[in-house]
Amino acid sequence: MSRGTLVYATQRLVLITFTAIVVSSIVFIGVHQLPGNAIASEKRLNPATEAALLHHYHLDLPWPQQYLLWLQGLAHGDLGESLVNQGVAITPLLTRELRVSVTLGLAAVVVTVVVGMSLGVLAAIRQNTWVDYTASTAAVIGYSVPSFVWAFLLILLTVTGFYAWSQGQIYEDIGWGKIEQIPVPAFALGLPYAAIVARLTRASMLEVIRQDYVRTAWAKGLSARVVILRHALRNALIPVATILGPLITGIITGSVVIEFLFGIPGLGKEFVTSILSRDYNIVIGVFTFYAALVGLANLIVDLLYPILDPRIRYGN
Amino acid sequence: MTRSSKIRSFGAVLCAAAIAAACGPTSTPSEALAADQTYRFGITDDVTSIDPGHVITAVDIVVISEVFTGLYKFDNNLKIQPSGATALPTISPDGKTWTFNLRKDMVFSNGDKITSADWVYSWTRTLRLNDAYASNLEPIMGATDVEAGTATKIAGLSAPDAYTLVAKLVAPAGYWLTELAMPVATEVVDQKVITAAGEDTWTNSPSTYIGSGPFKMTQRTPKAAMDFQPVKNWWGGDTGKLTAVHIDIGLDDVSRVKKFESGGYEVVGPANSQPGPDDVLRYRNDPIKSKLLNVYVGGRTTAVGFNFTKGPFAQKPGVTPGDSTVNASDPGLDGRRAFSMAIDRVQLADIACAHAVTCQPAYGGPITKGFIAYAGDNTDTYAKFDAGAAKALYTKWDPDGSKVKGLEYRYNTSAGNTKIATNLQAQWKQNLGVDVKLVPSDFPTLVKDRQGKKTIIFRESWGIDYDHPQDWFDNLFICSQAKVGRGNNEGYCNPALDAIVSAANAKPITDPATVAEYNKASKMIVNDVVWATLFYGTQPYLTQTYVRGTGYNGLYDYNWEGIRLLQH
Repeated sequence: MSRGTLVYATQRLVLITFTAIVVSSIVFIGVHQLPGNAIASEKRLNPATEAALLHHYHLDLPWPQQYLLWLQGLAHGDLGESLVNQGVAITPLLTRELRVSVTLGLAAVVVTVVVGMSLGVLAAIRQNTWVDYTASTAAVIGYSVPSFVWAFLLILLTVTGFYAWSQGQIYEDIGWGKIEQIPVPAFALGLPYAAIVARLTRASMLEVIRQDYVRTAWAKGLSARVVILRHALRNALIPVATILGPLITGIITGSVVIEFLFGIPGLGKEFVTSILSRDYNIVIGVFTFYAALVGLANLIVDLLYPILDPRIRYGN
Repeated sequence: MTRSSKIRSFGAVLCAAAIAAACGPTSTPSEALAADQTYRFGITDDVTSIDPGHVITAVDIVVISEVFTGLYKFDNNLKIQPSGATALPTISPDGKTWTFNLRKDMVFSNGDKITSADWVYSWTRTLRLNDAYASNLEPIMGATDVEAGTATKIAGLSAPDAYTLVAKLVAPAGYWLTELAMPVATEVVDQKVITAAGEDTWTNSPSTYIGSGPFKMTQRTPKAAMDFQPVKNWWGGDTGKLTAVHIDIGLDDVSRVKKFESGGYEVVGPANSQPGPDDVLRYRNDPIKSKLLNVYVGGRTTAVGFNFTKGPFAQKPGVTPGDSTVNASDPGLDGRRAFSMAIDRVQLADIACAHAVTCQPAYGGPITKGFIAYAGDNTDTYAKFDAGAAKALYTKWDPDGSKVKGLEYRYNTSAGNTKIATNLQAQWKQNLGVDVKLVPSDFPTLVKDRQGKKTIIFRESWGIDYDHPQDWFDNLFICSQAKVGRGNNEGYCNPALDAIVSAANAKPITDPATVAEYNKASKMIVNDVVWATLFYGTQPYLTQTYVRGTGYNGLYDYNWEGIRLLQH
C-alpha cells in the first residue's frame, strides 16, 4: 500500500468515526424525545422499583446528562446495558451480531458478484442469442423483485417445497449456526443486486470487447478464456466496481428484513426488535455500528479501485 | 347450526381438549422412543430476565419453572403440588401462621444442599429486589419493609431448624398458597453462587446459573439461542425422557411454522410464541394438518374499559381516583350498558380472532372461562348483543349526541388490536349511530395514560398470573389500585366490593363459599359495566405427530419432564 493510500485510508477512518458519532448522537437525541420508556409495563411494577430501574439506566437524568454519560461509555467501548433484557451488555452482543451480519453480507456480495458477473459476461459474449435474452430477462426479473419477496419465495421453495418433495430428506433449516444455513438467505439478499451487476457487466463488456486491444488479443490466437477473463473482463470491472459501494450499503440495509425473516441473529434483526421493544440503548448502538459498517464497506471498495485500475492513485 | 352455536360448540371442544390433554398419562410403557430426544422450538422474544427475583414475562417463566423450584408448583391441571415442601403447609387456626416442612434431599444442580436458610435468603432477596412479582411475598409480616428498604430481614419469616420455615402473615391470605406455586419470585436460589458470581451477573453464564429444578442451562447466546439438559440424579426424581432442549430466539411466527413444517421444531407455541392467526386457520381448515393443531384455553380476557372518574361514562364525575365512585344516580351507567350491548362479540371474534379460533366471545364477566370463579356462561347481561335495546338505551342517555361528541377509543397498535378497534368503531357507528375516533399509540403511552385516568374508553386486558380470583380483584378492581395508579385503569372504587374481596381473600379457595363471594364481586363488576368484556383468550399449538406430553394448562406450558419423542 502506497503512502498516499495510507494517508487517504486514515483520513477516511477518522471521517467514519466522526460520522458514526454524529449519527449515534442524532439517534440518541431522537429516541429520548419519544414518549414512554422500555420499563413501562402492563404488569404491576412498584413505583419505587420503576424509579430504581430508571436510575440504574440513568433514565431519570436530563437527556444532555445521559448523553454525556453515553459518550463517556462510548469512548471506553461500552455501549451500556439492554433496557429490556436485563444483564445483557450491548457491546459484546452487537459485536457478535456484527460478525453474523458481516458473514451474511459477504456471502450475499459473493452471490451478487458471481451470479451478476457470470450472467453479464454470458449475455455479452452471446449477444442477441437466446442466452443473452434469457440472462437479460432474468436480470430484469431479478431487480424488479425486492429481496423480501425473494426471501418468502425461497423459504417456500427450500423449506416447505424441498421438504415435501424429498419426503423430509432435504430442506432448508431456517436459522443460523451451520454453514448450510448461509446460502439461501445470501441468495435472497444478493439476487436483486446480482441483477444490477449483470446488466452493468453486460453493457460494460459489450463496450470493451469491441476495443482494439481485445481484437488484437483474438488476432494473436489467444484462447477465449484468456481473452474474456484476462483482457476484457478486468477492464469491464471498473464500472461495476463503482457501484459496489452503494450496492454493499444496500446489502447491509437489506439484511434488516432478511435476517428477521430467516431468524438470523444479526444486526439487522436487532435493528427491528430493539426499535419495537423500545430498547433505546440497543437502538443507538445498532445505528452506531451500522454507520461504521457502511463507512468501512465504502472505504474497502474505494481501496479496491487502484488494484483494478493502476491509473487510479490516492494522495497525488 | 348457527354461527354462535358453532362457536359455543367449538369452545366446549376446546375445554374438553384441554382437560383431556391435561389429564392424559405422562408415559406409556409400549411407546417406542426416538433415539434423539432433543426437544426444539422457537420463540419470538428473548428472556427479559432469568433471575427468579426479576422474572416478568412468559418466556422468563418457562426457563424459571424448569431450572428452579419453589415450595409448591402447579401440575399440568393447575393443581397445586408440593415441590420443595414435603406437604401442604400447616396453617394456624387464625390463618396467620404458616409452617412449611422442607424436603431434606433438596440440592442445587452444583451439589450445594438446600436448607431453610436458603429459602429465607431467597425470599428476602426477592423482596429487596422488589420487582414485578415481589408482591407474591407481601402477605408475610414485614415484607413491605424489606421492599421499602427500611428493613433487611423479613420480620415474619423464621427458620426454627434447617428444614422448617415459618411465616407469620399480616392477615389471613387464602390465596397465598397459589401465589407460592407460581413459578416466579419465590424460587430458592444459591446464595454462595450469587455472592461469588455477582448479584447482577450470575444469570449470564450457564456455569453460574444454578438452580434446583429438573433442568439446567447448558448454553445461552443472548437473542440467539438457549440450550438445556436434564440434571443428573435430580433430587426430585425422574427428569423424564428428554436429553436436551434447544430454543431458538427471534424467529417470527411465520418462520417458526415454516421450520416446524420442515421438521426443524417439535412444536410451535411454547413460551407464548404461538403460530399466527393465518397459519392457525390454514391448519384448522386442512383435514390432515388439523391433527397437528391443538387449541387450549388461555388465561386472558380482553375488554373495553370505561373511565369511572371523568368523561361521559363516569360513575361519579370529578371524583379523585381511589375515592368511592358509588353513586346512586350513576350518570354514565346507561352509556356504558349501551356501548357494551351494541357490540356483537361473535362478529368481533370472527374478524379479530381468525374466525374465533384464537379467542372466544366473552359472556361471563371478567374472569376468563375455565378459571376459578368464572361467573358462568351468559351471566354478563350487557355482553349479550342487542342492537335495538342498545340504541334505545343510548338515545335515552344521550338524545342529542353531545355526550359522545369527539369520543376517542384508545388502544396500542398491533395487527390484532387494530382489527378489534376498527370493528368496534364500525359496530358502534352501525348500532348506535355514534362516531368514535380511533386513537392508536405505542404501548407505554397507553399504559401511562390509562393509569393516569386520561383515557375515556380504551383497550383493556388482563393475562392471569395464577389461577385465583384474588389476582383479578386485587390488581384490577379494588380502590387502592385506582389510587396508586397501577391496575384499575377505570378508577372504579366500590367499598362494598372491596369488603367482599377482602373477606374472600382471607379464606381458602377450596371452600365453595369463598368462590361464591368472588362470584358476587364479579356480578358487581358486570352490573356496573366496569368493563365491556369482549373475548377470552385461547392458546393454539402446533405439535408434531411423534411428540407426546406437550401442552398448555391455561397459564403455563406443560413441564418438560413429561415430554417424549416417539420414533418417526
